[in-house]
Amino acid sequence: MNDYAISVENLTKFYNNFSALNNISFRIKIGDFFGIIGPNGAGKTTILKILYSVVIPTSGNIDILGLNITSNLQHDARKIKSIIGVVPQEDNLDEDLSVFENLIIYSMYFGINKKESLKRASELLDFFNMAEQKNFKVINLSGGYRRRLLIARALVNSPKIIILDEPTIGLDPEYRLNIWNKLKLLNKSGITILMSTHYMDEAEKLFRNVILLNHGEIVLNGSVDYILNKNNGENIVTDAFGNLLQKEELQNNNKGLKSLEDVFMDIVKNENYKSN
Amino acid sequence: MKIIKVINEINHNISLRLYAVFYRNFKVWLRFYKPSVIGDILEPLLFLAALGLGIGKFIHNIHGTPYLLYIIPGIIASSSMYAASFEGTFGSYTRMTTKGIFDAILVTPVSIEEITAGEVLWAAAKAFMSGFAVLLIALIFFRPHISPFILLIPIIIIINGLMFASLSILITSFAPSYDFFSYYFTVAISTMFLFSGVFYPVSALPNTVRYIVYIMPLYYTVKVTRSLFLGHINFMMFIDLIIILIFSFIFFYLSVYFIKKRMIS
Repeated sequence: MNDYAISVENLTKFYNNFSALNNISFRIKIGDFFGIIGPNGAGKTTILKILYSVVIPTSGNIDILGLNITSNLQHDARKIKSIIGVVPQEDNLDEDLSVFENLIIYSMYFGINKKESLKRASELLDFFNMAEQKNFKVINLSGGYRRRLLIARALVNSPKIIILDEPTIGLDPEYRLNIWNKLKLLNKSGITILMSTHYMDEAEKLFRNVILLNHGEIVLNGSVDYILNKNNGENIVTDAFGNLLQKEELQNNNKGLKSLEDVFMDIVKNENYKSN
Repeated sequence: MKIIKVINEINHNISLRLYAVFYRNFKVWLRFYKPSVIGDILEPLLFLAALGLGIGKFIHNIHGTPYLLYIIPGIIASSSMYAASFEGTFGSYTRMTTKGIFDAILVTPVSIEEITAGEVLWAAAKAFMSGFAVLLIALIFFRPHISPFILLIPIIIIINGLMFASLSILITSFAPSYDFFSYYFTVAISTMFLFSGVFYPVSALPNTVRYIVYIMPLYYTVKVTRSLFLGHINFMMFIDLIIILIFSFIFFYLSVYFIKKRMIS
């Protein structure tokens, strides 16, 4: 065992002839709050889907807490899915069931016994301040509550890692803040979080480490604080080739950029960091 | 061989977890079961009444069997075919696409093979309810005329249900939209309903048409069900049963293979 929850090495994914991910590598430490940022179509969702075994990689190695996925080795998929929680981008709550039933039936998919699942479901509804909505039909929930239930559902199996694909998209500021607070609490309790977003304010507030993707390649990889020159930080930042970026070089590249939003726009517009 | 490898892999990925998929559908069905059950019973009853009483007035018997009794086993087989087909197409397709149920389950330890198998089992359960309802009605009204071998018919209904559930989910795996199913129902299901010997002996058909009937799965279930219903036990029944099982086996593995291909890229 090592200190990493997730290690991704030389991951490549082709859809027919379209290259969605091009030879990317990164590692996520146990307990980290790790972000994937990048413009639409950069490959964020593809990475996440490969990690939770719905998309099969074309090549590369993935290690999730000692379990492996490669292009032709999928036999650990079931074990991996039992220790992670997934919040997908599309809301796929079960609209034919009530709020509580959503959690109970979902627990069945994990093979959790009835008694345990009833207890866990009640705890989760309390944690997300949804006890009152317990018997509501999902259809009658507001967008914010639906999103909270989607996150609660990803926690029924007490996962060691949760993977969230743009979990706050389309929510008003109050609901976003509420979800941020819950995620911070979960992270504090020891759960490793991997999340994608294209809200840069959200990325700055939540993530400790990020990778910035563009056209299926990692253009920046490091701690948020260090990228923004907020401290000297011991973390390193690398460019697309995995070369260490010195602080001066980073500052030079960033040209005094103050926020991730600036860095993001700079990268997307100027493609300073793009390989070749 | 590749086929054996594929079958082994599918078997390897199927465990009792498929019960959770089945249970979810059952739980949802419990909410709306009343209109569903009424439909299951009413529709075959309408066929029995209209054809049995109406046409039966003119055709007194077929090979010595009163017309109404002749068509009951055919209606048992065809109504279970319809129930499995509706559930396996419209039902499963909705859960796979618009409702996102498959996607939600796919990120849990339940495999895509188990999702498909659970769906097949559920559609077969609906087929059973439908076929069994007709059987019960027959028992209530025509008990003196029926053979004790009728007790074996529920097993045939279940196998028939599994066969058509698998076929329907195989069709679903290729469906780009709901419209696609109208081809399936017209070309396959309605054709089988009308030509598989539900209403008249297939021997009445011209030779060329008969050869087409022999590739229809429903033809064999109608034959076996009718033999059990009337107590005409014969060796050919076992051959028919083996053919039904071969159809079921092929449809099931193809449906799992193609649903997996569709869902995992």
